[in-house]
Amino acid sequence: MAMKKFINQPQNIVPELLEGLALACPGQVRLVGSNIVARAQPKAAGKVALVTLGGSGHEPGLSGFVGEGMLDYSVAGEIFAAPGAPRCIEALRLAAEGGAGVLFIVLNHAGDVLSANITMDIARREGLNVKMILTHEDIAGGKNPDDRRGLVGFLPVYKVAGAAAEQGCPLDKCLEIAERMERNMRTLAVAVRTATHPSTGQPIFELGEDEMEIGMGQHGEAGTGRMQLKTADETAEIMLNMLLADLDVKSGEELLVILNGAGATTLMELLILYRRVAQLLKAKDIKLARGKAGEFITTQEQAGFQLMIARMDPDLIALWDAPCNTPGLVVR
Amino acid sequence: MTDLALMFKGAAAQIRARHRRLSDLDCVAGDGDHGSTMLRVVEQLEHAAGSNPREILRDAGWKVMGVDGGASSSLLGTFFTGMADVPSEGDTLDCRELAAAFECGLAAVRRQTKAQPGDKTMMDALVPAVTALRESAEAGKPVVEALRRAAEAAQAGAGNTRNLVAKYGRAKYLGEKAVAHEDPGAVSVALLFDGFYHGLAESKGETGNAGPG
Repeated sequence: MAMKKFINQPQNIVPELLEGLALACPGQVRLVGSNIVARAQPKAAGKVALVTLGGSGHEPGLSGFVGEGMLDYSVAGEIFAAPGAPRCIEALRLAAEGGAGVLFIVLNHAGDVLSANITMDIARREGLNVKMILTHEDIAGGKNPDDRRGLVGFLPVYKVAGAAAEQGCPLDKCLEIAERMERNMRTLAVAVRTATHPSTGQPIFELGEDEMEIGMGQHGEAGTGRMQLKTADETAEIMLNMLLADLDVKSGEELLVILNGAGATTLMELLILYRRVAQLLKAKDIKLARGKAGEFITTQEQAGFQLMIARMDPDLIALWDAPCNTPGLVVR
Repeated sequence: MTDLALMFKGAAAQIRARHRRLSDLDCVAGDGDHGSTMLRVVEQLEHAAGSNPREILRDAGWKVMGVDGGASSSLLGTFFTGMADVPSEGDTLDCRELAAAFECGLAAVRRQTKAQPGDKTMMDALVPAVTALRESAEAGKPVVEALRRAAEAAQAGAGNTRNLVAKYGRAKYLGEKAVAHEDPGAVSVALLFDGFYHGLAESKGETGNAGPG
């Protein structure tokens, strides 16, 4: 079937979407330099700045979380492809102007990590005060952390580290908080229908009519378990149990739960799934301390979702509850 | 035109002729955009400028990294900026200097990735190409002949990726499923080297079997 998307020339997708983001959210973000997404109102000097990078086509991720209480700069690459070092180092230089150092948050995908490492080499040569953290919480990658991809877990990491930076925490403290959040989160994705690549018009993977695939990556990377499509309750239970076992959650502990729609899965479905997750946690005497259901990182019109759980402590909950004002998340 | 400009022009012609095949290969394990990424890479190679080979290479590498096309453009950009580390002051590169430059480029790539030949990546084409170039330079071959051998070695290496299981990049999540298909990154490198050879050979009237021994 031919692609049906409202786009213009494929090579203009990224600049046009960034222009649209800045125009649609003028109170939160603006574009600076080489199309780098920055806060509308720069953070006061003397506070740690947060920078991220990642491919486009996943809106609102990742640039949709630039704003007060979260990111300072986001470098958007081409569709599903990491931006290169030239624009990343430009963002780090801008962020370093605040004088309190920079936390560089990178989702574990080969291209993003490569670009970030090249950028960090340059930053070190230039004497910039930058600490990098990699998010890798996708349990489908297996036991080796290097093989675990960074999925929607970027959201709580941006959120708690951003809140800490906003409160004036020094760089080492912001990094420690980001690492604590990262260590305590796990995500699993499921896909039921493919998306078309907006530049090529081709489906990014093939999946049978009555199949679903647990462990599918953000760009159609193959997962671990292809099976017959199941109900919401069955799917939620399979995935939640895998996550609870991997994170070794004990009864009485407090969790943050995020249900992230992949693009075509409706809020109706996400709410039905969320309800089942909440019921199952209650039955296991695990406290659902905080939660969200919605679209935070998408893959075009892919159908499916990511389920993320994270073990919370009082500090992390307070930082999660702190105010933020970004296109993708507002907390007052 | 400088030799480097001719090589880059040849590479651009090869990629433009074959980019659809690169995207088709990328559909197996990736998201099917490798061909369009490579089109943007070679466009930047053609725009590379500078007053000597090192400046041209450094500019080429930085511009290639700037196409924002994920791992492919970052690694190829690293390769070209790394080539600029070659100790050469002249206006042109002789065969030994070109071999040394490619070795510098390969060393720079190796600082960013642990991938080895056999892992089903661009390294399967790049490492044999650089080795062939060095051996030809040591044997006193002219540049065009050395590039022809490098292109052949890259092509053989890329072809062999068909038999390999991916250990890096998005394809690694496919495991055995990606066997029987060539790695698009390796095929791209083979096309670049084939283009380097043809670009230089055609300007010197040394294409096909007419090349010196």
